[in-house]
Amino acid sequence: MTNGDYYQLLKLLAPEWTVVGTVLAILFADLQFWRNRSVAWRSAGAASILSLGFAAAAGLLIWKRAVTADLLGGTLVLSPTSQYVKLALLGLAIVTAWLCTEGEFTKHVGEFVALIALATAGMMFLVSTENLLMVFVALELVSLSLYVMTAFNKRSPRSAEAALKYFLFGGMAAAFTLFGFSFLYGLTGSIHLPTIAAKISWHAGDPLTLVAIVLVVAGFGFKIAAVPFHLWAPDAYEGAPAPAAAFIASGSKVASFFVLGKLLSVGLPGVGGSGAWKAFSPGWLAVVAILATASMIFGNLAALAQSSLRRLLAYSAIAHAGYALLAIIGGSQPALLYYAITYAVTSVGIFGVVAVVENRTGNEDIAGLAGLRERSFLLSVALSVFVLSLAGVPPLAGFFGKFYAFAAAAKLGSSLGYWWLVALALGASCVSLFYYLQVLKQVWVAPVPEGQGKVAGGWVVSILLALLALAVLVTGAAPELLIRFLK
Amino acid sequence: MDVHAAHNAVTAAAPAFSSRPEDIAWFILLLPLLAAAGITLIVRRSNFLAATFSIAATVTAFVLSFVLFLMFGVGDAAAVTSPFAWLHAGELAVNLGVTVDKLSTLMLLVVTGVSALVQVYSVGYMHGDRSFPRFFIGLSLFTFSMLGIVLADNFVMMFLFWELVGVSSWLLIGFWYEKESAADAAKKAFLTNRLGDFGFLLGIIIIWAAAGTVNFAELSQKLGAHPDLLGSLASVAGLLVFMGAMGKSAQFPLHVWLPDAMEGPTPVSALIHAATMVAAGVYMLCRVFFLYQVETAWPAALAFFGSISALDIIGGIGAFTALLAALMAIQQNDIKRILAYSTLSQLGYMVMAVGCGGPDAAMYHLTTHAGFKALLFLGAGSVIHACHHEQDIWKMGGLRKLMPKTFLTFALGTAALAGLPPLSGFYSKDAVLLAALDNGHPVLFGLGVLIAAMTTFYMLRLVLVAFLGSGRSEAAGHAHESPGAMTWPLVILAVPSVMLAWVPLGDYLTHHFFTDHGHVHGHGSEVISFGATISAAFGLVNHILFEPFNHAPLPAFLGTGALIIGAWIAVTLYWNAERDPLPKLLGSFARGMRNRFYFDEIYEAIFIPLHDLVARLADWFDRWVVGGLAVRGAHGSTELLGRALRIVQSGNLQTYTFFFVAGVALVVLIALK
Amino acid sequence: MSLTPGLHHFLVVSALLFSLGLLGVLARRNLLVIYMGLELMLNAANLALVAFSRFNANLNGQVMVFFIITVAAAEVAVGLALIVALYRKRQSAHVEDLTSLKL
Repeated sequence: MTNGDYYQLLKLLAPEWTVVGTVLAILFADLQFWRNRSVAWRSAGAASILSLGFAAAAGLLIWKRAVTADLLGGTLVLSPTSQYVKLALLGLAIVTAWLCTEGEFTKHVGEFVALIALATAGMMFLVSTENLLMVFVALELVSLSLYVMTAFNKRSPRSAEAALKYFLFGGMAAAFTLFGFSFLYGLTGSIHLPTIAAKISWHAGDPLTLVAIVLVVAGFGFKIAAVPFHLWAPDAYEGAPAPAAAFIASGSKVASFFVLGKLLSVGLPGVGGSGAWKAFSPGWLAVVAILATASMIFGNLAALAQSSLRRLLAYSAIAHAGYALLAIIGGSQPALLYYAITYAVTSVGIFGVVAVVENRTGNEDIAGLAGLRERSFLLSVALSVFVLSLAGVPPLAGFFGKFYAFAAAAKLGSSLGYWWLVALALGASCVSLFYYLQVLKQVWVAPVPEGQGKVAGGWVVSILLALLALAVLVTGAAPELLIRFLK
Repeated sequence: MDVHAAHNAVTAAAPAFSSRPEDIAWFILLLPLLAAAGITLIVRRSNFLAATFSIAATVTAFVLSFVLFLMFGVGDAAAVTSPFAWLHAGELAVNLGVTVDKLSTLMLLVVTGVSALVQVYSVGYMHGDRSFPRFFIGLSLFTFSMLGIVLADNFVMMFLFWELVGVSSWLLIGFWYEKESAADAAKKAFLTNRLGDFGFLLGIIIIWAAAGTVNFAELSQKLGAHPDLLGSLASVAGLLVFMGAMGKSAQFPLHVWLPDAMEGPTPVSALIHAATMVAAGVYMLCRVFFLYQVETAWPAALAFFGSISALDIIGGIGAFTALLAALMAIQQNDIKRILAYSTLSQLGYMVMAVGCGGPDAAMYHLTTHAGFKALLFLGAGSVIHACHHEQDIWKMGGLRKLMPKTFLTFALGTAALAGLPPLSGFYSKDAVLLAALDNGHPVLFGLGVLIAAMTTFYMLRLVLVAFLGSGRSEAAGHAHESPGAMTWPLVILAVPSVMLAWVPLGDYLTHHFFTDHGHVHGHGSEVISFGATISAAFGLVNHILFEPFNHAPLPAFLGTGALIIGAWIAVTLYWNAERDPLPKLLGSFARGMRNRFYFDEIYEAIFIPLHDLVARLADWFDRWVVGGLAVRGAHGSTELLGRALRIVQSGNLQTYTFFFVAGVALVVLIALK
Repeated sequence: MSLTPGLHHFLVVSALLFSLGLLGVLARRNLLVIYMGLELMLNAANLALVAFSRFNANLNGQVMVFFIITVAAAEVAVGLALIVALYRKRQSAHVEDLTSLKL
């Protein structure tokens, strides 16, 4: 490798550099200048710096949106799609950072915002590589940042507990993934996905291949919270500070789905097997079909029993992971990304509303939303848009995402072999309407509790939430606007 | 902005914009949406302006629909569509397009016409409500969604608007959301509809996966060329699509939402239950009728259906719904509920017609029904308004003299619904019966006649008890005629209720559906021109009156006979009756009818424990198995179980990890097999 | 039979290490010991990678091991910090005290 290559590498990674620079800038400003300021001031300041830095990174991404590159044996692989996914990640991070201004859960708010940026950097690397080593390192950067973010509310014992559970569970998932990676490397002698793809099909029937697949999928199943690797999710969602939960539910999901889809379709296309009805054969399609089935059934049923809003969101996230796996089965990258991105936008929006309401009322139950219509019209409308989108009601983005993902799975196989999965998914989304409507019922029908006044977030958060709701509506009504970037 | 000014500006703008029919159709579709947006953004505070915007948009849409009808409906113009790409992703290509043909122009007229009248009526009915503008936003949105269904040229677009209708009906039924029952009814309507939509969407996906297109015209063409395109799933796909219609058009067993939806304001009932939402299912079946003309084929698992086709099942469900709802209507006492069950019954009639292979008859009945049922609902609203929100017919009586206009129009609507010749209902009912007879469904035909008799009976019971006799309550004694904004729509609606069938509507529809087969029957000429229509209407009244009796005497005479028998029994039982004699005569059967055969209770008995059980199982699983089996035992009796399990399990996190590992092992095991 | 260990021997040892680590995670009460179990699992993967690297005759696996060791060190820092944070709140480092979050 010559110096010229390094220079090129530096140029191609300009957005990532900018993000890392933002991390340092936030830490520096917070430590050097803002020690004596109030927490509210510092959180707004840190969020502003992050927004500026990320806007610059976004500018660089848009400027170089047509780039394609494949450097250092697949360590850095850039394509227009990966650039657009990074843009989405930056946007989600900005919203998350502003959520920190709702509620003072820590004095060290600068570090928290810096961690958001650091996790974003990890996600950006994660989506631009086809190399197992890089996947692992980036994944760990994301995970470690998120563990710390989860533990950030030092006043709450639940925060530390959630973080520790998340951490130990995640550590084990990482060990499984790594063990799976080592088998893949052992079987093919390469850690470069396309090379693996070329060689792995020689070992298609090998039990070792299958074990490797299951181990790898288990590790990512943890990240996307698919049953039976989901058990951390409800606890982490409940115990973490709202912005941390929002980022776990949004940015982390987008990056993980993207890389899981890539790993399976680019790295292991020859060993898919089949999950078709009565034509079951071992391979990752079968494994993913099992996870999808379990997630959709369990997530929706468990959500029915929840009274805590955050736990409800966690189980709904588990169900949604199941739906999104259908897009992976269908092998349609645009469907998967459309689903993941719109879902992330929706859930970051919901957590925004949750953050504002919890901050003002201290109530974490669904019943805490009672009479929200009288207390904040904007929040009520935004929440309704998000919840209806999760329920898959057209013309919101959630409907189209589901339709696209299910259609992709249905189309696979000549004789509708996956119709059983599609039928199950549709049935499950029917059931989900029950608990989503419970939330809306609290908002629109339940009487306003005694002594509860207005609820209002800061103006930046309010604007961001309104924009997110609008985005859910627009990308649902005109999905082409988003999809043409994802092909 | 003045109504007329807006109206003129818009009509003037339309031709300048373009005179292509598809552009006019787009404009019609967007008008109500613009109105809703305008009210929301600009005039939210003003009741007057909100109503003006909304009504002006709908009236303009009606006028434009009429223009389209003249351009298209009349004569032999071919259908046009105007697609533009909405989304192209891989193999999935969906266009947003409008279809303008005989079917959609007729339906446009029905929807915009009824919607306009309902909006005018609402100005009177909703006067003084604090959310007046919100009501008009809802009505406009609803009209927009409904027009979308009518104009859609492909399945996905239709489904989009289909769901939008669901959402906007949810907003309207739950308009008085502070009322718990209204909020629950709205939720029930939404959920039941979603159950149907689940099948609908699955059907769409299967059709798309098998045929590669969701466009109606392409699909029809492909199916025409290769009738076996859908393979063994042909009938299943048809039935799944029909599930959507079952939800929207409230067919058994998804019929339970419709009567409850009466909790909404009465104009909403008129709009939703007469002309639009419930008609959407029947319209959809007619639009995709080609789907049911392919050969019957069942997958191996369902082979026991043998040669029973999807249409046979549809017809059976329709007839059963019609019969069931008519029985229930006989013993209701709430004026709106009687009408609701009557709507159910008539919808069953239409679906039965489709099932008998007569989409033309179904659309015919849909059109006439839209007119007289809207009239009846608005009339009922007028009565309720006058009697201070009293809805029990046994507490009314003697309203004939106090509310002459309402009575007269209501009576006309009743006569039309009962099928008194030469009112519109007679002809469309005759067409339905004829379709059943002609296509070899004698049982359904018999049922149809029976239901016709029952219809006459329960409607006459309503009129006799509520309007004749003497006042049975304070409120009924002091009733007075409603204001002009409410009575004028009644008068206007009375016109089509009486005369709609005097234009050869039946032939018009037959022509649309069966031109290829040359299967045109009935009165009038083969090619219909507008001039001929007019002369047929005015010059040949005599001919029209007696034509059905000459052409196909059996259904016409039996239908009229049923009418007479039903009327005779009703008059015998209810003339000047002080209380209902039927419970004594029929005993527990009457109680069953009154209680809607306990369907709600049965559903509750099945679904609520099921839901509870599932929730409890999930709860138990999470609490004891997942949640670490080491909870404090706060629930008393569960303490013992907790202790027993605590010996086995050490703690929370390790339960999690155990499940993780067990999950991996299980997946390996399943996948290896 | 040759006395030089073959690939299989390494893999068996690696699998054993992995299982031992897993057992530690599943069965031990103390968070620190559980944590050590996790590290053992990571090192099992490391051993497998090095062995594969040797028998595949390329260095990719060994490079990966270096990175894994580094990342594991970072994980140690975060993990210990979390355990300390929990200890401050609960005065305990045992898993059975981690049960305040549940349905």
